[in-house]
Amino acid sequence: MERIFKEEKRELNKIEGSMNNKKGQVTIFVIIGVVLVVAAIVIFMFWPQIRTSFAISSDNPEIFLKNCLEDEVNENLEIISLQGGSLSPQHYFIYDGNKVEYLCYQEENYIPCVVQRPLLKNHIENEISNSIQNTGGKCLDSLKENLEKRGYSVTLNKQEFETEILPGKVVISTNSSISAKKDESNYNYGSENKLNVILDNNLYELSTIAISIISSEVEYGDSETTNYMNYYRDLKVEKKEQSEGTRVYILTDTEREEQFMFASRSVVFPPGYRG
Amino acid sequence: MKKLGVIFIFGILISLSFISSQEGTIGVSYCAERTVSGAWCQNVPLDKVDKSLRYVPTSCEATSYCKLGTCIDSKEGICMENTPQKVCQDAGGLWDEKESDEIAQCNLGCCSLGDQAAYVTQTRCRQLSSIYGLESDFNPSVSSESACILSASSSVKGACVYERDLQKTCTFTTQENCLSGDYGDSVDFHEEYLCSAEVLGTDCSRTKNTKCVEDKDEVYFLDSCGNLANIYDSSKIDDTLYWTKVVDKEESCNPNSNNAGSSSCGNCDYYLGSTCKEYERSKDRVNPSYGDNVCRDLSCNYDGEKYQHGETWCADVESVSSISPDFENGNPESENLPGSRYFRLVCYNGEVSVESCGDYRQKICIESDIEGFSTAACRVNKWQDCIGQDNQLDCENSDRRDCMWIEGVELVGISGGSKTGVEEREKAFAGSSDESTRGQPFSGTGNAIFDMDGEEVEEREEGVGSCVPKYAPGFNFWSSSEAESICAQASIECVVTYETGLGGGKECVDGCECLQSSWIGERNNLCVSLGDCGASLNYVGVEGYYDEEALYSRSGEEDKTDEE
Repeated sequence: MERIFKEEKRELNKIEGSMNNKKGQVTIFVIIGVVLVVAAIVIFMFWPQIRTSFAISSDNPEIFLKNCLEDEVNENLEIISLQGGSLSPQHYFIYDGNKVEYLCYQEENYIPCVVQRPLLKNHIENEISNSIQNTGGKCLDSLKENLEKRGYSVTLNKQEFETEILPGKVVISTNSSISAKKDESNYNYGSENKLNVILDNNLYELSTIAISIISSEVEYGDSETTNYMNYYRDLKVEKKEQSEGTRVYILTDTEREEQFMFASRSVVFPPGYRG
Repeated sequence: MKKLGVIFIFGILISLSFISSQEGTIGVSYCAERTVSGAWCQNVPLDKVDKSLRYVPTSCEATSYCKLGTCIDSKEGICMENTPQKVCQDAGGLWDEKESDEIAQCNLGCCSLGDQAAYVTQTRCRQLSSIYGLESDFNPSVSSESACILSASSSVKGACVYERDLQKTCTFTTQENCLSGDYGDSVDFHEEYLCSAEVLGTDCSRTKNTKCVEDKDEVYFLDSCGNLANIYDSSKIDDTLYWTKVVDKEESCNPNSNNAGSSSCGNCDYYLGSTCKEYERSKDRVNPSYGDNVCRDLSCNYDGEKYQHGETWCADVESVSSISPDFENGNPESENLPGSRYFRLVCYNGEVSVESCGDYRQKICIESDIEGFSTAACRVNKWQDCIGQDNQLDCENSDRRDCMWIEGVELVGISGGSKTGVEEREKAFAGSSDESTRGQPFSGTGNAIFDMDGEEVEEREEGVGSCVPKYAPGFNFWSSSEAESICAQASIECVVTYETGLGGGKECVDGCECLQSSWIGERNNLCVSLGDCGASLNYVGVEGYYDEEALYSRSGEEDKTDEE
């Protein structure tokens, strides 16, 4: 009888042990889960800094700068694209909550518009350059700081950032140079070639089409949207007539889903004879 | 014979009057270097001038700082006309007061870049060459963009055979590229041969894979080295000849069709309504027999109808006229209502976009159909001089104006064919300068024609009528009194004469039609035809402030006795 009890007890202990093991496993899984969630939250919250920290390990200042500048440049590019090429438009029409700048404007009726932004590409490049000088400088300081933390003796020669918009890309470059020394290691960046940050964007094509539309607005007081869509396969051109004769053009690269918006007022026929 | 009789003339003055408001004053115009809203070089009233910059009470053309000319971007090679000198120079451009076709730097020519061409300036051609890394050839003798684009021809391609890792391999490219040295010194170029050609003995063989190529419409076969082969044709997948030499588009499968929805043929054509895209179950009707790419149908479905890619048509909006080349006269009661606009719809790449022709129906949508392919455009509504026309022929001259002739009903103040009368009428239509007479109805009977002073000129003749806009324009009647002047052209005072007989009964003898309800409707239709005048519904079907009865009033009954 006692033996039977002992065996039963042994069996029970076995079951209990197995239950405890399972509980332990569940606890481990829960802990791992929590750790993963916390890690995900931390990565999500501090991604730019983390990315920048990873970048330094690559010892490539161009990648460091790209990671440091990319978000701001992309944000500015989006704003510029929706505001006719300017970050702070001076003369604009509010469309869909955006201050869409007039690239060509005529206050009077019946006559063609006067060009307001003749060198649009140049203007956009200046707008991007001006908007990132501050951040670009901070990124260079941050690069220097990171290298110094790793024991390098660093010399930084800061220069202005320039922008060039090209087919399919935006190139941010600077003549800044940075040299880092540590024991036998000696790195020089930017002394021979410019430091370049290249971002994918189709602003070049869209702004070129905008210039063509403006030329048509000057010459004919209007433009035919289908001409552009016939020629450029992945382009959608929308012309939105607004009150008081303003036209808002929305150019969309359907492949990249990028847009450029601008306004024009040309050869307006007012209501009645005089409006 | 002494005729005794008493003639009582009851002058019943019936008037139709229309809505009005006060007109704003137009002051002296200044050339503002910048306006308060930020626009450069505009002729504006003083209150719109940014006074921190230059402004003079003259036209901008007469100033030095805002003179218009051509702005040259010497780096990009782009010329922009109608650019103020200051704006151009501030932006870093070169300004020239001449028009662009008189400036050597702005002369256009045909720029050949690889297998493409662009009609641009020589500087622009060089710039494009530098940007795209392609050799350019500028031909200034080509005089049109279409001729330039047609002149673009792709360089002949072929199989460039070379050795790599002791293996004979191949790249499908141009002869120039093949012999550039990128593929080593020992290369053989076989013009118009594909790399999959068995006779070349390379490691590139035929596959069942396909590819879409940038700037090309068709689906292409790929060989095992990743080179493009001929246009996808499932029936030729094992055809040795088809995998040997280049076959032209015109000689490939179904060259006159867009092949949208075909599982077997990849000869897509953008202008016929298809293009190469990766197969998507939700967008493409059939799965390709081989590979992952198909000719996607770019046509659109709108309101239950199918439209081809590239078609444009006028929206069927209830409140505006439906315009087609055979459009005659519309119905003023239900068309061109206040607030309505014309719209053009555009089908491209499977999407329909809506383009408004603008407010106040100052532009209308016109549409034509050629072999089932419709093309529409917003064009200016030429209504402005309708009211000045005094005969049907001139009125309905569609080359000059968009007007229609309404038989038997006349606008007042018309003295038949009198030139003075027409001029006066145009003047009145353009807006009376006399505050005391603006918007006042003219006096008249239903039968008589009156001049501007209200003097009866002649009795109504057969064939008389009114010339009114075919597509009644809109007015901003809430902020400008111009609408009042225009609408007043259809206002009329009608004198009705009664005769009282010996028995005491009254009999209408003149102007009697003015008492009929149909007369009111007729006058209102005339009124509505002029624009946003009279009593009508608006574009969403809501009645206006006045109805027909409210625009009609009887007044002033006068007795006259005439004894002989």
